[in-house]
Amino acid sequence: MSDLIQYLFNGLVVGSIFAIAAVGISLLYSVLRLVNFAAGDFLTLGAFITYFLSVTLELNFFFSIVVSMLAGMGVSWFLELVLWRNLRRNKAGTLALFLVATGVALMLRPIIQFLFGTETRKFNVDIFKTYDFFGARIAHTQLLVLIFASASILTIALFISKARIGKDMRAYANNPGLASVSGINVDRVVLATWLISGALGSLAGVFQGLVQGQFNNAMGESLLLSFFAAVVLGTIGDAYGALVGGMLLGLFMELSQLSIFFGGVPSNYKPVVAFATLVLVLLFKPEGLFGYRARKV
Amino acid sequence: MNQSAKTSSGNSNSSNLDSVTLDVKDISVSFGGVKPVQNVSFSIKENSFTSVIGPNGAGKTSLFNLISGINKVSSGEIIFRGEAIESIHAHKIAQKGLIRTFQGAKIIKRLTVAENLMMAVKDNPGDNLSGFLKPKKRKAFELLARAEAMRRLDQVGLTKFADEYAGILSGGQRKLLDLSRALMAKPSLLLLDEPFAGVNPTLVEKLLTVLAELRKEQSMTFLLIEHDLETVMNISDRVIVMADGKIIADGLPNSIYENELVIDAYLGSRRKDA
Amino acid sequence: MQAFVQPGFWVFVLALAGIYGIFALGLQIQYGVGGIMNFGHVGMMAVSGYSIAVLVIKYQWSFWWAAFFGVVLAAFLGALLGLTTLRLSGDYFAIASIAFAEITRYWILNTDSVTGGTQGTLAIPSPSGFGGYTDQPDKILTWISDLLYPIVGDEASRDMAMIFIVWPFLFLLILISSRLQQTSWARVLRATREDDDVPRSLGKNVFRFRLQTLIIGSVFGGIAGVFWALQFALLAPEDFLRIVTFYGWMILILAGATRVKGLIIASIFFGFLYGSTRFLEFWPLSLLSSPERAYLRVFLIGLVIVLLMVKRPQGLFGKRQEMVLE
Repeated sequence: MSDLIQYLFNGLVVGSIFAIAAVGISLLYSVLRLVNFAAGDFLTLGAFITYFLSVTLELNFFFSIVVSMLAGMGVSWFLELVLWRNLRRNKAGTLALFLVATGVALMLRPIIQFLFGTETRKFNVDIFKTYDFFGARIAHTQLLVLIFASASILTIALFISKARIGKDMRAYANNPGLASVSGINVDRVVLATWLISGALGSLAGVFQGLVQGQFNNAMGESLLLSFFAAVVLGTIGDAYGALVGGMLLGLFMELSQLSIFFGGVPSNYKPVVAFATLVLVLLFKPEGLFGYRARKV
Repeated sequence: MNQSAKTSSGNSNSSNLDSVTLDVKDISVSFGGVKPVQNVSFSIKENSFTSVIGPNGAGKTSLFNLISGINKVSSGEIIFRGEAIESIHAHKIAQKGLIRTFQGAKIIKRLTVAENLMMAVKDNPGDNLSGFLKPKKRKAFELLARAEAMRRLDQVGLTKFADEYAGILSGGQRKLLDLSRALMAKPSLLLLDEPFAGVNPTLVEKLLTVLAELRKEQSMTFLLIEHDLETVMNISDRVIVMADGKIIADGLPNSIYENELVIDAYLGSRRKDA
Repeated sequence: MQAFVQPGFWVFVLALAGIYGIFALGLQIQYGVGGIMNFGHVGMMAVSGYSIAVLVIKYQWSFWWAAFFGVVLAAFLGALLGLTTLRLSGDYFAIASIAFAEITRYWILNTDSVTGGTQGTLAIPSPSGFGGYTDQPDKILTWISDLLYPIVGDEASRDMAMIFIVWPFLFLLILISSRLQQTSWARVLRATREDDDVPRSLGKNVFRFRLQTLIIGSVFGGIAGVFWALQFALLAPEDFLRIVTFYGWMILILAGATRVKGLIIASIFFGFLYGSTRFLEFWPLSLLSSPERAYLRVFLIGLVIVLLMVKRPQGLFGKRQEMVLE
């Protein structure tokens, strides 16, 4: 019983991080038809900037998180201005978008390494402090992440459904042609999408760093496929779906360790659960949980 | 070419003018709650010329997608020359001689005009990797295909573009290429999706003449989508009218012209368009 | 600057260029002809390379049979990947192909008893107690370098002998590939690159054509894996990271996706980029440690990819016209 609570709780924590990262990827896909291969490295960037500010410079932790989110937005803004906008004007194809996103990822990683080194880092937070909850051990950091991540998810969901720019995003995603003739400023929508995904990337990176306890510059990259699994599970391009997909995937990965499933998946095989989810969804329901497809044979 | 012999013998087997080429039985399709085609039934006789007309969004193209196997029916049956085809792959349907074109002439822009035609040749041994090991046979066939492509281009006056990228062709030229390409695949039933849309009147006349000749000389059967009834009045021996996914009228062109329901669906939409 | 004039450096560059040229040739036929965006190509190289190491070390096969098996296995996995996911649209297939390569690498990483796990092929349990697998081909390599000795003297090396094995293969495969691309088979594939429905409605089994290119490309990837295994004589999971696929993509887009001939020059450029970030000692490179150089290499490859896609998407040797037709 305590095992179940433990893994359920772990799953919620991991899932909420996946949800935040996945929603950024899904929004970008819905607006730009871009699969953001650089998303993982934005997590790493956020975690390292927060580390630099809060540990090296000893600034307030929450202030550092906010600055790292602003930095994530800044990098995204810069890339939109120098890269993505030009590619759109040149009517770049799917391959160009894929490769440029990958190229960005490949450049970002060495930059992070150059700025912050290759050493393993940890935040200035007590990672050993735990609470007892019906026999389950709940880390202080996990609790922090769960509270703030849930608040962020709610904010994102509200923002997409209520804010003007959120509505514009959805309108543009549904029908780019119609949206641009009906007076929606496309560049503004795209920029907003980049800013949101940049901020969410940093935030997810800090959360992931907290939950892992320690992290290095391969952190985000190694999670990228899990994020894709969450995005595809929740229907690619569907922001709410990505939130659900992320939570579900986190729960799958943690609950798979319960002994009732083949004696429990060993914890170093957790990524395999994500891969398997991705592969199974692609094979049997590529349109995801919330999409439909025309039957094509 | 050997397959032309095959096709003509196929035609002579079923040269009975009353035989049914295509029998569509109560087909419907739905995509996530939308039902573009609902309970549509009709049959087409060999060597006939049938036009499907109707306002935008009436389900005409969806109907073609179902018949040609690009999309699959949710319910109902489609019989082509005595064989159920509603659940077989699109390319297999095409191999049986049911060939379609697409709205707006989908030419392959980054192949040359001649290549666009040669791509469509039926039973090309060079299409198989095993053909790679028989270069003589493959090359001989390629020469024949090229010759046939040039003949077709000559018919429609596109010879001088043969080795240019098809992407440089004008809208009207693309329509001609699209039609010629469909003919390269040796159809016995040809489905044409708005072949006259956006084509200048002179060219429309020319296309109509070409179609009439094909019908007469190669005893082909035609099913054609058209937005405008008047264009196809003379060439069609039957007109099917669709609106909102259903057939609302079916008969001789003249009777359709005076049909109240049609005038409603049609003029209504025409007023909206204007 | 000394390293630039050392023949040994250029010999390494050419040997590597040959191997990655074959690797990129696989991507070329998949994307340049069939429009398939395969981002898991490294998986094919990993599979054939590891097949050799495992079969020779653990099961005492002959190198040649192991190499043959490795290539066949790569083809088989290409077919499996295609049969399961090639019906998906381009974006999904790209993600699926990455997942395929990552699963392969993850399996290698975590199956210590077969693959040696994180420590690489040296740790494969061997009946003879030694983790090498190149004894048989090494005899040929030694024979070639002995033949070269009277001509080039002390510069005769294993790397140079590799060039004499890899490059004839590269030329042969380029020849086969470009012949294949002149057939009507390739014409249908080029049509599918733009539009599925047209060739399908003309009676062409689009799926079969795509699957065939995917398998042919996988065979090329598998052959590249054989030479990779031979060149480095030691394999580890981190040799087959996701980025290796993008080494191939960089070569391909540099050459122009539809041009086979540019591939040779682009491969040599890649070999130079790889070799210079690894061996050259002059300033400012001399300030960097070896892991830092690895990062510099990754950065430069990212930069080349981004600049090419933004400034010259048709590649150095491609035709602009093919990119702009609307």
